Amino acid sequence: MRQTAGLISTYSSDEFGICSALYELGGMVVMHDASGCNSTYTTHDEPRWYDMDSMIYISAISEMEAIMGDDEKLIRDLTETALEMKPKFVAVVGAPIPYMIGTDLSAIAAVTEQATGIPCMGFAANGMNYYTKGVSMALEAIVRRFCTGPALRTENLSVNILGATPLDFSLNGSVDSIKDWIRENHMELNACLSMGCTLEDIAGAGNAHVNLVVSYGGLAAARYLKEQYGIPYVAGVPFGERFPVMLAGMLKEAAASGQDLVSYQAVGKNQTPPVPDAPYIGSDSDEGQKNIRYDGEYSGQERRNCQLTGKAQEQKNDSQNKRNVHPQRDKVRISIIGESVFSASLAAAIELDRGISARVLCPLDTEDQLLRECDLRTPEEDDLMEHLLETEIAVGDPMYRVLCRDGQRFYSLPHEAFSGRIYDPVNPNLINRKLEVLSC
Amino acid sequence: MKKIAVYGKGGIGKSTIVSNLSAALAKRGLRVMQIGCDPKADSTLSLRHGEPLPTVLETVRQKKDAFALEEITCLGYGGVICAEAGGPVPGLGCAGRGIITALEKLETRGAYEIFRPDVVFYDVLGDVVCGGFSMPMRRGYAEEVLIVTSGENMSIYAAANIAMAIENFKGRGYAKLGGLILNRRNVKDEETKVRTLCGDLHTSIIGMIDRSDLVTEAETMKKTVVEAFPDSEMAAAFGELADTVVFRQRTADKA
Repeated sequence: MRQTAGLISTYSSDEFGICSALYELGGMVVMHDASGCNSTYTTHDEPRWYDMDSMIYISAISEMEAIMGDDEKLIRDLTETALEMKPKFVAVVGAPIPYMIGTDLSAIAAVTEQATGIPCMGFAANGMNYYTKGVSMALEAIVRRFCTGPALRTENLSVNILGATPLDFSLNGSVDSIKDWIRENHMELNACLSMGCTLEDIAGAGNAHVNLVVSYGGLAAARYLKEQYGIPYVAGVPFGERFPVMLAGMLKEAAASGQDLVSYQAVGKNQTPPVPDAPYIGSDSDEGQKNIRYDGEYSGQERRNCQLTGKAQEQKNDSQNKRNVHPQRDKVRISIIGESVFSASLAAAIELDRGISARVLCPLDTEDQLLRECDLRTPEEDDLMEHLLETEIAVGDPMYRVLCRDGQRFYSLPHEAFSGRIYDPVNPNLINRKLEVLSC
Repeated sequence: MKKIAVYGKGGIGKSTIVSNLSAALAKRGLRVMQIGCDPKADSTLSLRHGEPLPTVLETVRQKKDAFALEEITCLGYGGVICAEAGGPVPGLGCAGRGIITALEKLETRGAYEIFRPDVVFYDVLGDVVCGGFSMPMRRGYAEEVLIVTSGENMSIYAAANIAMAIENFKGRGYAKLGGLILNRRNVKDEETKVRTLCGDLHTSIIGMIDRSDLVTEAETMKKTVVEAFPDSEMAAAFGELADTVVFRQRTADKA
């Protein structure tokens, strides 16, 4: 049945993506919706809720306020609360009701800002989009609003992390590991949007030499920073042992050349030897291994493969109907279900470290450039089930296990945006380390 | 780029006036875009000689986001770029929400950047009955609202209601009231009544259109008066009004 999730969970919505992206920045975030509906954000999707304060509110719009279009009550409530709480900014976030009655949240934010003198932003979320879109809207808006000053570049290469939220990275130490990995590679961390980050850090985001986009949610902010400050971006997450070496090289390369790169596009094209030791995933078969080569640097051809040019993008678009026919990935054995940058990076890491071809099944918002030719967009449960039949192994949130055929091997990778905090204790940190911790 | 939203009571002649303004401005060499904001999708009918044009919302419903700007626009008389928002099945859905979505889709498809029109008209259904119908006057859309009215009481009430909405939105950076267009229905004391309304609203009549059978004749021919009867007094009247609508601000700026 199309557009129906009969067996699996659904992803967090755009409002929750906005709340998650803005959680640590000292702002007052108000979801304009009926009381009750959105408390699921705090109770299910926000692992920081019990340990870290944040001003997350619900306007508790009533039936009559919706029918009568009583924006004035919202403006009054926003103004009074903001003057009392003195947040660094106010974010008014839409939901299904204001969406349907056409509430102009940007205008309401402008009026509130005039009344309070506090920066206010309106977000046209509607509860019908994925959290990925919410993260994207929030991070783009926050850099547009607060990152406006001149760039003050340091001598050492400095990096922003863009698109980090617990919805994708949980609180299992992954984001801290990415920060450590940046430092280990003799680069400085500038700002991390937005975990372990302040609004002041974001105001200085223009000082970085290069942006590391770790999820689709960071891409729009990266484009703004490119447009405003000329900062190039590299998309990728440093999973495994070898992929992080490649990714660190690409960050340095992008900073030097100004060229945007999608790191994992370079893997699996000019092929490489595998890591010889114990397989943690898949069989002992050497199938696919002949296609893998890695020598610590990526070749010129690989570099061309991952550069984003208009022509390459057109060709990628043209190839939409030819997916699954990558000449060197004719034996894809693993399907990874999840967010595009996260999952494609993991696939690349598996290919480099283990010599086993993996592809992504992406049910979420993304762009073609963030997927490789072998990857698929699978917004429907039916599509997922069909494509899972094609590979021996599936990797994804435990709630996807139900879609696997009998006997199919399944490796759990809990995803906060899909199953909330249910699997928190077993959510593995796979950053910059041997990929041996996925559990069956 | 000058963006103008035209409001007024249903059936008062907005689409006829706007289409003739578009045609007159196109004859003056301007690039004009006319966007019908009405589920009936008949705003641009006389500009496109009755030729069909898929509405934005119907296209979105059928193709989601997999469509090009060319599929929801066409070139009408004089190269006027025509688009129709469309709307839900009568009696169902939400027409106001539909207007918002349609205008957003045109914007995200790059309609303003690609066509680079000199003038954009939003021809809006009737009154500002809900949030959706205020969309054309929001920030980023029209800078100016023109209200079409006759001297009939119902039309004057509607005009006052629209003006009240504009007043309510004044802190939001929305469009300002640019004036009234009197579309005569030849009712008693018509001009006096509309001038009284102007006094109440602190605005003025920027143009008057006389009642004429040529409008009906042109409509039968599926053309504007400007196209069908270019040498008529009516065509001249529309031309004069078009000049006022588009050039008066520029003239004032120069002065």
